[in-house]
Amino acid sequence: MDPLIVTQILNILFGVTTLAMIALGLAITFGMLGVLNLAHGEFVMMGAFCALVVDRAGAPFVLAVPLALLVCGGVGLMVEMLLIRPLYRRPFDTLVATWGLSLLLRKLAEAGFGLGFNSVSVPLAGTATLFGADYPTYRLVLIVVCVAIIGALFAWYGTSRAGLKIRAMVGNPDLARALGMPVKRLATTTFVIGSCLAGLAGVMVAPLVPVHPYLGLDYVIKSFFVLVVGGLGSVLGVVAGTGVIGGLDSVMSAVFGSTQAYFTVLVVAILFLWLKPRGLFSHG
Amino acid sequence: MPPFMTIDRRTMLAGMAGALAAGIAPGALRRAVAAEGEFKIGLLIPLSGPAALFGPSNQGCAELAADEANAAGGVLGRKIKLIPTDAGAAPAEVAKSVVRLMLEEKVDLVIGSHDSAVRQAVEATIKGKVPYIYTPVYEGGDCTANLYCLGETPPQQIKPSIEFMMKEKGAKTFYMIGNDYVWARNSNEAAKSYISAGGGSVAGEEYVPLGAPNRFEEIVTRIKGAKPDVVLVTVIGADNVNFNRAFASFGLDKEITRLAFLLEENTLLGIGAESSGNLYSCMAYFANVGSEANQTFKAAMKAKFGEKVPQLSTLGADAYAGVHCAKALIDKAGSTEAAAVAAASQGLSFAIAGGTATMTGRHVDKDMYLAMCKGTEFEVVKTFEKVASGQSCPV
Amino acid sequence: MIPISFNTVSGGYGSLNVVQDLSGEVEAGKVLCVVGRNGVGKSTLLKLLLGYLPCRSGEVTIGGRKAGSMAPEARRGLGISYCPQERPVFDDLSVSDNLALMVKDGRLDGYRRFFDLFPVLEKRLAQRAGTLSGGEKKLLSFTRGLAEHQPAVVLDEPTEGVQWENIQRMAEMINGRKAGGTAFIVVEQNLSFAELIADHYLVMDHGRCVLIGSCAEIGRADIVKHLTV
Repeated sequence: MDPLIVTQILNILFGVTTLAMIALGLAITFGMLGVLNLAHGEFVMMGAFCALVVDRAGAPFVLAVPLALLVCGGVGLMVEMLLIRPLYRRPFDTLVATWGLSLLLRKLAEAGFGLGFNSVSVPLAGTATLFGADYPTYRLVLIVVCVAIIGALFAWYGTSRAGLKIRAMVGNPDLARALGMPVKRLATTTFVIGSCLAGLAGVMVAPLVPVHPYLGLDYVIKSFFVLVVGGLGSVLGVVAGTGVIGGLDSVMSAVFGSTQAYFTVLVVAILFLWLKPRGLFSHG
Repeated sequence: MPPFMTIDRRTMLAGMAGALAAGIAPGALRRAVAAEGEFKIGLLIPLSGPAALFGPSNQGCAELAADEANAAGGVLGRKIKLIPTDAGAAPAEVAKSVVRLMLEEKVDLVIGSHDSAVRQAVEATIKGKVPYIYTPVYEGGDCTANLYCLGETPPQQIKPSIEFMMKEKGAKTFYMIGNDYVWARNSNEAAKSYISAGGGSVAGEEYVPLGAPNRFEEIVTRIKGAKPDVVLVTVIGADNVNFNRAFASFGLDKEITRLAFLLEENTLLGIGAESSGNLYSCMAYFANVGSEANQTFKAAMKAKFGEKVPQLSTLGADAYAGVHCAKALIDKAGSTEAAAVAAASQGLSFAIAGGTATMTGRHVDKDMYLAMCKGTEFEVVKTFEKVASGQSCPV
Repeated sequence: MIPISFNTVSGGYGSLNVVQDLSGEVEAGKVLCVVGRNGVGKSTLLKLLLGYLPCRSGEVTIGGRKAGSMAPEARRGLGISYCPQERPVFDDLSVSDNLALMVKDGRLDGYRRFFDLFPVLEKRLAQRAGTLSGGEKKLLSFTRGLAEHQPAVVLDEPTEGVQWENIQRMAEMINGRKAGGTAFIVVEQNLSFAELIADHYLVMDHGRCVLIGSCAEIGRADIVKHLTV
């Protein structure tokens, strides 16, 4: 096969898997808890800054992973206890609160690191040859890591006892409480997991993009499109949504151009909102 | 009614009477009152949004220029007062801020550093009532009344650098990647004419939406397939970083030269040392241009801001030039009256960060620098002296 | 020690008190049947007992300890199982997952007696609980609730949609547990079922108690009189 076509196929894979990784945390908090976290992008941004700190300290890049989990998990825990928990079942209030949180986190990043662009050096720089095509090694590794993380998470959710309890809690919270399940603790855990995933995604994209306080905005937009298409509150929806949005975006970019791709994604998102507002796989 | 309420009420009445008197005073009277005070300049710079990282540099450089101008007697003997206003929002929002600047602050002049869409909205709001100095690099061709443009135009920036690439580097084929808006498209149209004049050809041209979450893997793959000698880069800000990092990660930086038309120090820091190989930029200012004037300028910035000196770049230098231009222009004209200012602009000389500039046709002739990126620094490889703007707006 | 008692409890939704000053108790090994027409506050009373709604007045005691403002998930620890009237099972989970959910090692060995009694459940183990019929869901819910072996069990309309022969088996199971000292509060419309298990009746109307007493004191005619008014 023509190496350029192989490269474009890899590009599509890369686009879909990284988008899924970024949308996952948002989908989890929204699907499980009914909390639309407008600050999700800022958790991605915090993860990216963790990578920057590690890079500046000259430490190995992988150390950014525990740091980001610690920072984003910690902030997520505080946010859940202080901001989200009092507002469960008040979706509009949560929206406003997390929007305010996103402004605050951006300003904090600005105060700490300034507004300027920063760069994190690419680990595993260079290219690897795959089916005759040279592809950046780091991007190839990212595809594999994203698939592994998402696969592991789905397997855990679908088969483990903790996953079973979370599914029970999401599906029928009142009955779950009657069975003595600690729904509040599970909700906290779920939110923290969502925050950690966002931070992890931030670490992953940090070597690809300019690291700056506004970094999260770009990512959160496409993640919302994923939710719109995939449906609110379904795990399968994340996969379907990223498949449709990420796939369309990458295919259109590869075949036509970026403007056409962005236009198509917008139109599809609008059509879904209009004709299928509950998405492909909605809950109940 | 308790006694304290009557006092309140009387004060309030007096205040209202004052406000009414001010409101109905004839325009001439108000202008006369204003003339005795400060010379107010509305400074439109990005304080929010994706371009906000340029805000501190713009503001700092403009403040230094205002200090220097005030030390030299201000404008028409009046002290300059800068009123920094956010131009990082949508054009309609910025237009509202400009209305407030005109009606409430009664600014004498406006200096703007923002994109062309905002400029058009500001022009439509000001309607030539006060002089408007637009400082950053732009596509050229805007002869709106009472508008003065200081930035690099395509004949200054693109023509010499493309000629350099073709003559000195033997470049024949060019690929264009830009943001989908007026500056990038017009710049590339200009570039095409210079390329065909030199006997070269365009291998491809594409645009990505401005302000959208763009990815560049697909475009880089197409460039890889097209194998051009040079890629002309007119994506800006974060897109500029994303594109260049993706380009280098695919290993293309070793084979293909990139020439960017809005690449300054902040953006280069984002691109990073490992992605800046074979990357060129052509601007009227780089922080490490060796001229004596620039050493003085940098020392003055350091003296004013100490450790907190903002990242110097062409955009800040342009804002610095904007304030000096305002002083020179209005002092020479003797007033802010449109015809007098326009007449004064022709042949006007004023200080810019790298030296001096001369205004003709309400645009500026100046030295241009072609720099090659060395890590996260620019290294000037060629200086084009006194390049004409190629614009001739009526005065 | 009294497994469940409630003293002059009131509560409801919004500003409306659906239940007003209700008192009662159930001893170990006894069944209290709460009866009344639709909408008189029977389910609301159970929600007050379980902590899904806050008591505006009065007090609930479970296993001898005051429940106060404890959350439902915490009340379970005081020794109470609950099978709700609506959405009685986890629809998205399989029947076996519904049963295994709160079993420590996840094994279904403890359900042998229930499977013998209700073979339909064992046949449907791999099926999604949402696909069961209404009566089958009730059987699943009943099984899950009783298998928890708590000193007190609260059942809200357990026989709704269930076939008569299975209703009789449910009654057998309850009576067996009574002998072992389990206390039950059962909200029930089906008086034939109630007669098989009840020791005491609490007849409700408009959120208040209109009749309370043992099955020796209260006959079917007394209850029917209040149900048809």
